Amino acid sequence: MEGSHLPSRPTGGLPGRDSQANLADILERVLDKGIVIAGDIQINLLDIELLTIKLRLLVASVERAREMGINWWEGDPSLQAAGNGGGELERENRELRERLERLEQRLGLEQGEESSRAR
Amino acid sequence: MPDELAIWAYCVARAGDPLPERLPGVAAEQPVGTIEHGGLAALVSRVPLAEFGEQPLRRNLNEFEWLERVARRHETVLEHALEQATIVPLRLCTIFGDEQGARRMLEQQRESLSAALDALAGHTEWAVKLLVDPAGLEAAAGEPEAAGEPAPGGSGAAYMLRRRDERRARDAADRLAAELADDVHAQLRDWASAAVLNPPQNRELSGHEGDMLLNGAYLVETAKVAQLHELVAELQERHRRLGARLELSGPLPPYNFVPRPA
Repeated sequence: MEGSHLPSRPTGGLPGRDSQANLADILERVLDKGIVIAGDIQINLLDIELLTIKLRLLVASVERAREMGINWWEGDPSLQAAGNGGGELERENRELRERLERLEQRLGLEQGEESSRAR
Repeated sequence: MPDELAIWAYCVARAGDPLPERLPGVAAEQPVGTIEHGGLAALVSRVPLAEFGEQPLRRNLNEFEWLERVARRHETVLEHALEQATIVPLRLCTIFGDEQGARRMLEQQRESLSAALDALAGHTEWAVKLLVDPAGLEAAAGEPEAAGEPAPGGSGAAYMLRRRDERRARDAADRLAAELADDVHAQLRDWASAAVLNPPQNRELSGHEGDMLLNGAYLVETAKVAQLHELVAELQERHRRLGARLELSGPLPPYNFVPRPA
């Protein structure tokens, strides 16, 4: 993953405090939770952007848990959210899935010997 | 371009409930304010279309520093609002062309927003994470078998046996981890008003040490928050032998407990 690029501190220099909560907590909530209301900006297109980011953030953490047989989130409809739309959305969703698989494979290779214990 | 600013919405509350004012918004020099319609209020701020219009937004969302800055400011506004009123948080990037667009949203969504506000009144969201040191868990799981008889035969057989024992210890640790997560979540779920399980977090973002076995969100009656602290301390004590750590955080914007789209 591209962890070395992730800033660990807020980068904004504005007056007033930024939230000091852990960034994973914030992104987990603001990216796909909350009531979904179609704003005037083309939300369907944005859905894809948000989902891409989310998948990218998720992959690394999910692998280890899956090894341990922990997979409670897999029935989570929000993670399949992009499949609900029309053909265009489905196509993009399929592409995202393929991208996720490639990412997972790459992750598996990087884990080298560790991956031999996966089930 | 005459119309360079759009409206970014943070959350919805009942009109008349106190909401933050003059707090910095997601865009520089644009503080938050409210737009009221039909008994509801949207907490909003202005955002320049040059940065938050559709095309710039798609690019900016892929710039991690931009995403972090905006997500943190959005969250900060919600945390302030949460101290003063019951809120329904909106997802990042809920943007309207003008105030009329925001009013239209309040009009069209009035029933679902109102129902969500009713359901959330008097409650707060809390997060509980269960973390373990994997080596400690393996040691705890492997204790009974660790003192097995010395391996007979040559070094090859000893090696194979050692590998087998290691594999068994890891399997046992994994089973123990799943049981541990189940127990902690079951206790909290049965006690809370509602519960949601989320995927474990990316260590690079969360900075946590050890393995995250549980990442749960729980909706708690405001009057029972002290009890929640006690319950978490009790669960931590119960699993201390396994090196389990429970992290409790809140109150949080109730993101996990607003209705999902059908």
